[in-house]
Amino acid sequence: MDRESGKLEQIVSQFRSKILHVILDSRVPSLHQQQQESLSLSRVRKTDKWFNLVLGDRPPALENLNFSLRNLLDPMVIDIILVRHGSCSSSVDNLYVPSAAAAAAAAGPSIETVIERWVVQYDCPRVFATPSGADAAVSYKKIYKKCILLLRSLYTQMRLLPAYIIFRQLSSLSQTYNFDLVYKVSSFSHPFSREEEDGMKVYSFAPVEALPGCLCVSVTYHASLSDFNLEPLVSLPPKIITDYVGSPTTDPMRSFPSSERGAHATSFPLRGLRPPSSAPFQRPHSWSSGFHRGIPPTRTQSLAGSPPVYRTSPKPYDITSPPTDLYGNRIQNHRVSTLQQATAFDEYKLSPPFSPSASPSTPTYLSGANPLLTRHCSETAPVTIPLPLTGRSTRYLSPNSSDPSRHSLPPLSPRSSKHDASSQESPSGIRSYRKLEALRAGESPSGLSNLYSAPKVVRDSKDDSGRFSGLLSSSGSPRIGFSRSSSRLSFQDDMDDCEFSCPFDVDDVDVSDSSSQNTESKRASEFTAQSNLVGKKSQDAAVGILVHMLRTAPPLRQDSSCYSTHSLRTEYEGGVGIASGFFMPRKTADALEELNSYREMKDLLLSKSGMK
Amino acid sequence: MNCEVCQLKELEVEHFEIREVLRCILHTIVFHRALGLVRPKDVDLELFEITYVQCGDVELEKKIDERIDHFISWVEKHPNKKSQICLSFYEVKSKQPSWFTNKTERLYWEQWYVNLNVTQHPKHHSSKSHHTKVVVDPGESAIEERSSRRAMVEASIREVLFQIIKFVNEKKDHVPPISEGVIYFPYEITIPSSSDSAFGMDMIKRMLHSGHPTMLS
Repeated sequence: MDRESGKLEQIVSQFRSKILHVILDSRVPSLHQQQQESLSLSRVRKTDKWFNLVLGDRPPALENLNFSLRNLLDPMVIDIILVRHGSCSSSVDNLYVPSAAAAAAAAGPSIETVIERWVVQYDCPRVFATPSGADAAVSYKKIYKKCILLLRSLYTQMRLLPAYIIFRQLSSLSQTYNFDLVYKVSSFSHPFSREEEDGMKVYSFAPVEALPGCLCVSVTYHASLSDFNLEPLVSLPPKIITDYVGSPTTDPMRSFPSSERGAHATSFPLRGLRPPSSAPFQRPHSWSSGFHRGIPPTRTQSLAGSPPVYRTSPKPYDITSPPTDLYGNRIQNHRVSTLQQATAFDEYKLSPPFSPSASPSTPTYLSGANPLLTRHCSETAPVTIPLPLTGRSTRYLSPNSSDPSRHSLPPLSPRSSKHDASSQESPSGIRSYRKLEALRAGESPSGLSNLYSAPKVVRDSKDDSGRFSGLLSSSGSPRIGFSRSSSRLSFQDDMDDCEFSCPFDVDDVDVSDSSSQNTESKRASEFTAQSNLVGKKSQDAAVGILVHMLRTAPPLRQDSSCYSTHSLRTEYEGGVGIASGFFMPRKTADALEELNSYREMKDLLLSKSGMK
Repeated sequence: MNCEVCQLKELEVEHFEIREVLRCILHTIVFHRALGLVRPKDVDLELFEITYVQCGDVELEKKIDERIDHFISWVEKHPNKKSQICLSFYEVKSKQPSWFTNKTERLYWEQWYVNLNVTQHPKHHSSKSHHTKVVVDPGESAIEERSSRRAMVEASIREVLFQIIKFVNEKKDHVPPISEGVIYFPYEITIPSSSDSAFGMDMIKRMLHSGHPTMLS
């Protein structure tokens, strides 16, 4: 008898738990999510086998409720409560609501309404006679089958009642609402008021005979929830922004109109620059390797005459933010100094843009235009580089794609660099100049020596670029050639000399004539002497003067017939007046060496003519 | 054992709604008669805001879809006709073999009749009128008419589903005992054949097999 009553108690207990599970799973979004996760597992739990309905793991709250409602004779009342969060303003004002809880916190008092009340009760008389024997077994099977049927219909009905729509809305994560569904389980319930009963309907499931009593399930529910004004909150849906500055999928040169100001609000030292124009960036060239990003070509061309910054230099360019108005000039001056520093190092480390075969010289400007930019471009996303205020003529700013060499500047003389260094604000720049000066004084760094080496190659070729290329190939330091030719551009600006309109003119000058290693010290002294004259001028002006000096330097033979072109002669005649003041007496050894070179050349020519 | 019959409320549906409506009703009925271990599967109707429950059995789903396809084919051949689909649950009983009967017989213990009235979509006046008439833009009115009609059909479907729930709850004694390992009771979906007379003959045959004179009551 106890065994039979135990069975009945077990059926009733499990029946109540199952109903509670079904109801909460269909009304409480949080519990439903837990159940969904557990249902993903294929295994069937023990609790699932009860009444042949697999629902997944029972939530812990359910176990606690079962424990608190151990008395099976007490009714189990499950209230589904609609909580409407009050708002002092319209929902439109709450444009951003991170969560319903936050909205509730920010809103006024909430209104709670019981929209469903489920009552599960085992009606059993106090005194009853329990069946026994075979009748009991059959009875329990029937009870169990009928419980299954009841649960099936309850499960279906849960999805047909109006509260299910609210549950589905809350379960979706796309929006937040100004309401929520909560539940309350108790063994007693406060009766509805007359107002609450209005608009509510009652449905009672057919009781399941479970002798000596019967299982009764009923629901009181709101037939329509339209009166509650349930609506989603106006909120910004989460949106993944894939197009942002620095995104790998975004064109780094793309302009972000709304972020132009923001670009300058960053920690880039470009803060001192003038705000950028509305002109969009130009896409950097493929070989720019990112160093030139964020720097439009036009701007760098305005900073022309500046040597490219060899960013691979291990010395950082600690340049403080110069005044905005003078930024361009200061940068240019600094660029010269950095070039000097760079020439002292191994130029093989320089990037492809400085090779003679490089395509448009624009990136050269880009890299050398602003060492700050080059440094930061390697670290951060590209930003808008404003046009600096310069009074320079722009006619020399357009890149000449045919000859990239013109976009680089020659190394300055130690004195000129030194003088320029004094005007620099950066102590590191000064240090770099002094180092270069030391190198020029006694040593022959590879870069500089290569610059003045291989006279054969230079002399054979009369073509500007060819001569330079020959020079470059011999020296293995193409950057030097670039730097040399570009220096005249700044000199042009200062000297207002139209002769520099064509950068190839620089190559026409027998600069290579003075490129022998033995004359290196003479050149250094010449440069130094000349630099004294232009000590007070800008960095670029000094470089320009140097170029001009090299161009107008008298030949070793002191013979005007050495010049093959009339233009050269003219230049020589015009330039000799300037350079003559700096002509130093030549040593016999130098002359002898030159003689030997000419003799060899003569023999070569004769041999070739003899073969013909 | 009596055979309980449930005549469901007639639904007025359009041709493109047949499949969804039939799936909803048939699966709901079968779910209430699948008393074995099931993992319920919620399915949302696309045309209506209704969620029904399936057993989650793939074979069952295929069979039901197959019968629905046959029904749709029949409807296409017999447009604008009231039709009826019968979902029957039976038990298989062994029987003494005789000259006219088989070894096994089916004992139908429950039958569900789904009544459908497949209607055609009403045409607009402007499309078929041969007379010169003032053509009024039917756009908004047609949309409103369609939405109201859709709401009516949805309400009717809900009524039918509640009817099923009520029937299942009220009549439980005729349901056979649950067999071990069986998920759902054997069932049969009968659709009207090419002729109405054949449909009636199917019912008579069922009578003869079941041997219950009260089956058609």
